[in-house]
Amino acid sequence: MAEHKKLRIQDLAKIREKTKSLMTIREGQGRARVTVHMGTCGIAAGARDIMDALLNEIGKAKVQDVIVTTSGCAGLCNKEPMATVELKDQPPVKYGDLTPAKMRKIFAEHVLGGRMVKEYVLAVGSETMY
Amino acid sequence: MKQYRAHLLVCAGTGCVSSGSFKLKEALEKEIAKRRLQDEVQVIATGCNGFCERGPIVMVQPDGIFYQLLKVEDVPRLVEEHLLKGRPVKKLMYVPPAEDKPVPKMKDIEFFKHQRLIVLRNRGRIDPEKIDEYIAFDGYEALGKALAKMTPEAILAEITASGLRGRGGAGFPTGKKWAACAVQKRSPKYIICNGDEGDPGAFMDRSVLEADPHAVLEGMIIGARAIGAAKGFVYIRHEYPLAIKRIEIAIRQAREYGLLGTDILGTGFDFDLEIVQGAGAFVSGEETALIASIEGQIAMPRQRPPFPASKGIWGCPTVNNNVETWATVPNIIRRGATWFSSLGTDTSKGTKIFSLVGKINNTGLVEVPMGISLREIVYGIGGGIPAGRAFKAVQIGGPSGGCIPAKLLDLPVDYESLTAAGAMMGSGGMIVMDDKTCMVDLAKYFLNFLRDESCGKCVSCREGTQRMYEIVSKITEGQGTMEDIALLEELAVAVKDASLCGLGQTAANPVLSTLRYFRPEYEKHVVERRCPAMVCKEIVSAPCQYICPIDQEASSYIGLIAQKKYAEAFQVIRKDNPLPSVCGRVCSRPCESVCRAGEIGEPIAIRALKRYVLDWAREKGLDAPARLPVTRPEKVAIVGAGPSGLAAGYELIKKGFAVRIFESLPVAGGMLRVTIPDHRLPKERLQDDLDYLVSCGLNIKTNMTLGKDFSLDDLFQQGYKAVYLATGAHKPLEMGVPGEEAEGVLQALEYLKDHHLGIPVSLGARVAVIGGGNSAVDAARVAFRDKRVKEATILYRRTRREMPAYPEEIEAGLEEGVRIEYLTAPVRIRTQDGRVVGVECIRMKLGEKDASGRARPVPIPGSEFQVPADTLILAISERAYTPYLKESDGLTLSPEWGTIIVDPVSMTTTRPGVFAGGDVVSGPSSVVEAMAAGKAAARSIEAYLEGRPFVRVNEVTRPACYVEPVKLTEEEAQNMKRSKMPHLPRGKRRSGHDEIELGFTKELALKEARRCLRCELETRDAKKALGRET
Repeated sequence: MAEHKKLRIQDLAKIREKTKSLMTIREGQGRARVTVHMGTCGIAAGARDIMDALLNEIGKAKVQDVIVTTSGCAGLCNKEPMATVELKDQPPVKYGDLTPAKMRKIFAEHVLGGRMVKEYVLAVGSETMY
Repeated sequence: MKQYRAHLLVCAGTGCVSSGSFKLKEALEKEIAKRRLQDEVQVIATGCNGFCERGPIVMVQPDGIFYQLLKVEDVPRLVEEHLLKGRPVKKLMYVPPAEDKPVPKMKDIEFFKHQRLIVLRNRGRIDPEKIDEYIAFDGYEALGKALAKMTPEAILAEITASGLRGRGGAGFPTGKKWAACAVQKRSPKYIICNGDEGDPGAFMDRSVLEADPHAVLEGMIIGARAIGAAKGFVYIRHEYPLAIKRIEIAIRQAREYGLLGTDILGTGFDFDLEIVQGAGAFVSGEETALIASIEGQIAMPRQRPPFPASKGIWGCPTVNNNVETWATVPNIIRRGATWFSSLGTDTSKGTKIFSLVGKINNTGLVEVPMGISLREIVYGIGGGIPAGRAFKAVQIGGPSGGCIPAKLLDLPVDYESLTAAGAMMGSGGMIVMDDKTCMVDLAKYFLNFLRDESCGKCVSCREGTQRMYEIVSKITEGQGTMEDIALLEELAVAVKDASLCGLGQTAANPVLSTLRYFRPEYEKHVVERRCPAMVCKEIVSAPCQYICPIDQEASSYIGLIAQKKYAEAFQVIRKDNPLPSVCGRVCSRPCESVCRAGEIGEPIAIRALKRYVLDWAREKGLDAPARLPVTRPEKVAIVGAGPSGLAAGYELIKKGFAVRIFESLPVAGGMLRVTIPDHRLPKERLQDDLDYLVSCGLNIKTNMTLGKDFSLDDLFQQGYKAVYLATGAHKPLEMGVPGEEAEGVLQALEYLKDHHLGIPVSLGARVAVIGGGNSAVDAARVAFRDKRVKEATILYRRTRREMPAYPEEIEAGLEEGVRIEYLTAPVRIRTQDGRVVGVECIRMKLGEKDASGRARPVPIPGSEFQVPADTLILAISERAYTPYLKESDGLTLSPEWGTIIVDPVSMTTTRPGVFAGGDVVSGPSSVVEAMAAGKAAARSIEAYLEGRPFVRVNEVTRPACYVEPVKLTEEEAQNMKRSKMPHLPRGKRRSGHDEIELGFTKELALKEARRCLRCELETRDAKKALGRET
């Protein structure tokens, strides 16, 4: 839960450092971070079902160290629903055209098994931030 | 903590365990310890990854290398080579199958790699409902800098220096707008974020608001500081609930952190925001209408000047900017104006977000530097047009914008270039269109939108958009005139000049822009009453009838089949088709290629259904021809009893003329009889159609050759008043390869003719055929049925995809055992003692596209190889050939093609009274096109004989009567699958020349007929006829 104190400029830098470290996967911080893209395009294409499937699998597997988060539209709208899987020390992998069944497979093979599901992968890596 | 440089993931699923993966893991750990790598390489047991047949499996990360079928003995080598020396052991690796492409990287994907994200920099990587994540990626750093280290003037200067122009559409310099407000002494001042985004196809503002709302907020706070405003409004259209929700959360979180409210970041600056929702109007995106809406009034624009910068909300100085503009601001402050202006062109700095939608492979949001070309966006980022269709135009700027055609694809995307081309940057909506988009229909669509959204204040807009819409509608219905187009242009100027706001002032753009680049398309709608893209329903009715050269009412007779009214279906077919049994078997079916059912599933098997009706009618003995009376004195002669001559003859005897057809061969039918094999068109079926025509009174004299047995002059001397030349195009093209004159080298058309006339042909055991069209495939399949032939191979210079022969014929040929060598071109024919023994060929590869639109094959040097052959059949192409004409006959030929030159409308040659049509005029074409030419010639001859000019009457497509549709079950309505044509069992095909396709059974025909979408019932005429007016 965010602190409700009014910020000063130096507080911004502190929050930046702390949050950045939480968001990246490092030693002992978590094995994977899965981002389900939920802009209106994603939701219209079924992202909520993808999210449900993912959370279900995490519950069934009883893993504590998988971070699940959402973000807005990832840009390539006709490939929605999309999700990005980032394993420790590895570049993020973007999956597209997802269904709940595909999400379950990705969870088992990629998130737990460490091997990306090639046939569903859109691309590996991040976009160029200019 | 340990930082391993590699992980060995040993699969410990059940499958691998039973293959010994635990032992393997132990062996690995031992070897790694032995080599003192235990601090660098970690061995982990993982769950099953599904590749059980290849276990035990070890995956090395981060290399992503997969080792399979490992044994304990492999371990020392694996550890030494891969982990120590960095050389993966290929022999132990899993080699994916050939089609397995390597997984692409983001930086290699066309869609992503050309983009430069500034405004969209956080897309996909932050949770928009967590302010901390925004801060994590340098969020609010610019605000800190602006409030603590810059004066309002400095902020203004920075924004001005950056060259930022408003991203909402007009592109007004942002710094200038802010300065105009900053200089105002009055207070309070307001700023507005325009999130009304109304352009159809634009959704970049929504995306920014949903994905990165804080970027907008930060920009607004900075702007408020520069301008001197203490209050801002975020105006979002109410159709964006998620955007509204996210901005609400963002505002709340910003307030909690003291980034909004009083004493922001302890600098003493006060500013807060309120959300106002739109009420469903497009016009409220216009800033003065928006301001009225915020004030609680009806969204209607007002006069400017005074501009909002001096007199805005409640008369106070106001700056209104678009979502994207505000979201750009923090980046400029954080990284500097110099950085920002280094991107883009001289006049248009920075990046712009475009929503790329429509007929494009990659739809989505693209942020690109200004100045990038449209071609790069459409073909590079967008991945081109789906299904390989042709690019037609791209609409930029929504209803206020215009379209850019293919010839301007290299235009750089910036404000000035687009405006000069008659389009507009607008909010950045880019709608890509292919050749199935009708530009007149597009103009109608935008006009409909605008007349709906016009607030009504100005007569010119209110009435103008309505009238322009009505005129364009008329044109799409085939009821327009050339005066309408002139009126449209006149109206456009009036609407533009006299309207108060941007909506009215740009309302004419869609029309003006489409007229500018696609005027011929408008004129086609008006003059010919045709819609080339086949979109305008009131013109096209059913595409099958629309495209059919002989105007067959396919959907009507299919509708009758669905009702089991076969006799009536037969009448519908017969009335327009003199050779229905033939067409039902060999027509090239342009109808099926445009069938609307084919757009969502498989096209209706129209040709097969026609054949079903004909077969049914034949069994019932329904075809009872009545001899047509001769009611006119004039006699007409036709030369050539092929499909064109027969069709012309039938039309003429229906009109009451006496007609005689002179045919050079001993049999009638032309290529139908002597070229098309029996296994596609049995002689008996052609004879059914011929018998019918003869019984109606069509007189055919065979063994009469023009130029030998009689001349044109003779015909006129014998009292014929008009002559129709329909002698076809069957002179084979020579290959131009040495050895062509050798014995055993045959021309396909001559071979097939001799075969069908019962003239013996000498064939060797190995037959090679050169060519890729129907003649090549026909010749190969007929030859292969000959008992002497053991091998038949077609040599084609391109690939299967480019072969012009009908796909089902190629398929059937392959099933019969004919072989095809693709990308093979003949170099020379090898002969021995004057007889052919083989063909020397060279391998080809596909290069650039040539004039026909197909990829040009180019030879691969040094790849020559031999194809042995005892008989070589050449089937390259044919051309028209008129050896029977002397110069004194008075006709003109095309020197290039050998065809007879005729007037395209009246089909008259340069000799009065002599007409020509079919392949002899067009070059090799199809049966149905030849028949259409014959029918047209008959009408022209009638006009000629009546002494009046022949005028082609252009009408919209309509069937003669409307057939009630059948009621479908839920299951039927979902059925997209085409009934499959039963074929002769494979074993029986080559043994004779029996027809391969057996024809639909009653059940298959009924099922298929019920699948028809009955497109002709969509017109107003149809609805009226069936009593279904809405």
